[in-house]
Amino acid sequence: MFQNCIRCTVCVENCPVFAVNPLFPGPKQAGPDAQRFRLDGEAVVDDWVKYCCQCRRCQTACPYGVPCADIILRAQMKHEEVKSFSRQMFARVHTLGRISSSLAPLVNFLMRRERVKSLMRKLGVSTSIPFPSYRFRTLERSWKNVGLLTGRKEKKVALFHGCFMNFNQPEIGRKIRNLLSILGYEVTIPPQTCCGLPALGNYDEERARKYAQKNLDCLIPYVDAGYDILYTCTSCGLTITHDYQKILQVSGGKKVAENTYYLYDYLLNTLSKEAITSLLGEVDLKVTYHIPCHLKALGIGYPFREILASIPGLDLSIQDEYCCGLAGSYGFKRENEETARLIGEKAARRIEETQANVIVSDCGACRMQLSHLTGCEAVDPADILEKSLLARGMKLKLSYFFLGSHRVGISV
Amino acid sequence: MEIVYDVVIIGGGMAGLTAAIRLGQAGLRVAIVSRGDPIVCLSTGCIDVLASGENPLEGVEKLPENHPYHLVDREFIKEALNHFLSVVKEEGLPYDGTWEKNRKVLTPLGVGKTTCLVPETMVASTADGEARLHVISFAGLKDFYPGYILARMPASDLSVLEMGRVSTMSLASRFETEEFLDFFLSWLKSTDIKADLIALPAVLGWQKAPAIKDRLEDELRRPVFEIPTLPPSVPGIRLHRALVRKALRLGTQFYRGRPISTVEKAAQLVEAVTLESPGRPIRVNGRAFILATGSFVGGGLISHRSGVEEVVFHLPVSYPVDRMNWFGEKFLPPEHPIEEAGILVDGEFRPKNTDLENLFVAGSILAHSRVLRYGCGHGLAIVTGEAAASSCLRYLKWQAEGDTCSKTA
Repeated sequence: MFQNCIRCTVCVENCPVFAVNPLFPGPKQAGPDAQRFRLDGEAVVDDWVKYCCQCRRCQTACPYGVPCADIILRAQMKHEEVKSFSRQMFARVHTLGRISSSLAPLVNFLMRRERVKSLMRKLGVSTSIPFPSYRFRTLERSWKNVGLLTGRKEKKVALFHGCFMNFNQPEIGRKIRNLLSILGYEVTIPPQTCCGLPALGNYDEERARKYAQKNLDCLIPYVDAGYDILYTCTSCGLTITHDYQKILQVSGGKKVAENTYYLYDYLLNTLSKEAITSLLGEVDLKVTYHIPCHLKALGIGYPFREILASIPGLDLSIQDEYCCGLAGSYGFKRENEETARLIGEKAARRIEETQANVIVSDCGACRMQLSHLTGCEAVDPADILEKSLLARGMKLKLSYFFLGSHRVGISV
Repeated sequence: MEIVYDVVIIGGGMAGLTAAIRLGQAGLRVAIVSRGDPIVCLSTGCIDVLASGENPLEGVEKLPENHPYHLVDREFIKEALNHFLSVVKEEGLPYDGTWEKNRKVLTPLGVGKTTCLVPETMVASTADGEARLHVISFAGLKDFYPGYILARMPASDLSVLEMGRVSTMSLASRFETEEFLDFFLSWLKSTDIKADLIALPAVLGWQKAPAIKDRLEDELRRPVFEIPTLPPSVPGIRLHRALVRKALRLGTQFYRGRPISTVEKAAQLVEAVTLESPGRPIRVNGRAFILATGSFVGGGLISHRSGVEEVVFHLPVSYPVDRMNWFGEKFLPPEHPIEEAGILVDGEFRPKNTDLENLFVAGSILAHSRVLRYGCGHGLAIVTGEAAASSCLRYLKWQAEGDTCSKTA
C-alpha cells in the first residue's frame, strides 16, 4: 500500500518523535519511502526505524490510506539489531506481571531501591518515571469464576482486561465490573493473555503471534456463545481489532474483531444516553481529558467524552493534539528516555495551562507519564464515573458497597 | 439505540471545520468523519479570499456567473470571514487583514504570494524587491533555501544559525522552550543587523507563536515576520489545530482515519454513513449531512477514464466532458478546465439533480470553484462552509417545526 503515498508529509506533521528527535527521519521516509527498497526476507538495516514509538498518529492522519505505522512496525520486526535485554524484558510484560504480582510486596520494595534502579539503568531500562507497582490481589485473583461461559442474561459481556489493569490497577477493573452490573450487564472474564502489543513493540513477532493465537482461541467460544467482547485499554483494543489481522494475520482475527467493542462506545451504542446520564451525580472538578493516540487511531470518536460532558458540575477540557510520549514500553527504554520526556513535556505544559485538578485518560501509560510530568493526579474514566455515581447518594452507595458478585444486578 | 448526530460532516478541512464550529455554536451535536488530515495542514496558513485584483470583495462581483461565491451575498462573505477572525483569535492564533484589500506575503522562492488574511506572524511580510531584509536561516534545515530570496532581494543580508540536523517542526518545538528562545535571542543580538526587517522561516513555535514573535520584535526593536515553508508547514498546522481545538471544545466528535464504505438512504434522506474498519463496521447516523471532501487533491473527486466520480454519495458531477481540451502545452496550468469539475448546488447548497433533502455541499468540491485559477481556496471554504451550515440549520429547524405540527395535528 506504500504506492498510494503522494509524499504530502501529513504523516510527518503528525509525528511526535520527528518533532523532537532529529535522528528520526519521520514516518514518510521510515515508512513508504524506505519500503520501496526493502526486500521480503531481508533484514532491515535502517537503524532509525527503532525510534518510531508506534503511536500511529501518522497512519490515522494519512489521507491516502497508506498504513505508515504498519509498514514501520513490520520493518522494526525485521531490524537486524540484536535483541537487547530491555526489549526482551518488555516483550514479556505478561510473564513479568505474573511473577511480580505473586511477589508484589517484595518487587515493589525492590523497585524503589536506588541500587536496583541503577542496575536497571545499566540494563537499559529507564527509571526516570516510577515503575508501576504490582498488586498481589490481581483482577483475575479477585474475580470469582474466571472463565465462566454460561451467562444467562441477554446482555452478557466478556471483559478483555489487559495486563496493566490486571496486575497493576485491578481496582479499576472492579469498578468497571460494578458499573456494568448496575447497568444490567452480566460480566465475565474470559481466560486471556497479553494482547501482544508489548511483544510487537519490542520486535518479538513470534511471541506476539503466540499471544494473539491464544487470545483468539480463548475469545472465539465467547463470541459463539453470544458474548460481546469489551476492552478498556485502547492499545489492547487496537491490537486485537487491527494488528491481529493486519500485522500478524492470525486466523479468527476478523471474527473476534467484529464482536469486540471499546467499553464506552459499547455503552453509548447499546443504552440510551439517558440511561447513563440519569445515574450521574455532581462532580466538582476541573478535568482535562487526554485522548490516547490509540483511541484516536481506533477511529471510533471519543465516546467517553460524551459521558464526561454529561457529568454535572464537571469543568471539562479536552486535549488530543499531543502524544504523551511514553507509548507503552517505548519510554521505559533508556535509549528513548529523552525523546519520551520531550514529547511528554509538550502534552504536560498544555494540561498545566488548563489548570486542571485531575487528568482523565483511557490509557494507563498516558496516565503514568502525564501524572509524573505534571504532578497532577491522573485517573481512569471508571474512576470519574464512580465518583459521579457515588455522588448520587447513599442508596446507590450502599448498593454499590454490597455489590459483591458480578451476578448481582442493581436497579437504581 | 445508536447515537444520532444532528449533523454529520464528511471531510475535516477548512470547509468542514468551519461548518462544525458554526453548528456547534448553535448548540447542535456534530460529528466530523475524515479519511485523514486535510490539505490545510500543508498550506501556508494564509487565507486567500480572491487573489485576482486589489479588492477581493469587489473582485467577487467580476467572477463568472456560475462561481459558487455568487450563491451568497457580499454581506454573508464579510460575516463569514469575520467569524473566522474571531474564532482563530479566541484560539490564540490572531489573524490580520481585511476582505477589501489583498496583500503579498513573501514565499521561500523570494516572490510574493497574493493573499488576504494572514496570521499575525506574517503581518510585516513584504515581497518588494527593493526591500532590505535580514534573513535568518538554520544550517541543516532542509526545507528552506534562503538563496532564492537573496537573489530576488539583493539588498538583503543573511545570518545562518548552526543547528545540526533540524526540521521546521523540531525547530518550532524548540522555540517553545524558554532556554532555546533565550539562546536564539542572544545569538541574534550578537549578529550585526542593519536591515529594518527581520525575516525567518515559519518555525516560531506552535501555540506560543504570536507571543514569541512579539518578544523578538520587542527585544530587537524591528518588525519580524515568518516566511511559510515547504511542508511540513508550521503555519498550516497551527491553523488546522486551532480550528480542531475550537470544534472539540464545542463538542464535535471526530471519527478519524477511516474512509466511508457505505451510505444508507431512506427515501429522500441520507440516514447514516458506515466507515471502513478491520473490525466492527462503524456507523455514524445523522439527521443532516454536509459533504466537504474537497476536489481531486482533497480526495472528494476521482477521475476515471469513464468520467469524474464523487467518491462518497456518487452525486452527479459536472465536468468538462470533452477530454481533448484537457491537453495543453503546460503541466496543470491554473486555467486547466478540470478545475471546473465539481457538484452543482441550488441556493441552499443542496446538490442539484438528486432528490436528497438533507445533504449539503461545501468547499472546493463545488462546481466551477476553480480555486487555483482564482486563488480563493481557504476563503471559499470558509464562506461556503458557513453557508452550508446555515442551510443545515434552516433545514433542521424546518423539520423540527414540521414534527411539532404533525404531532399537534
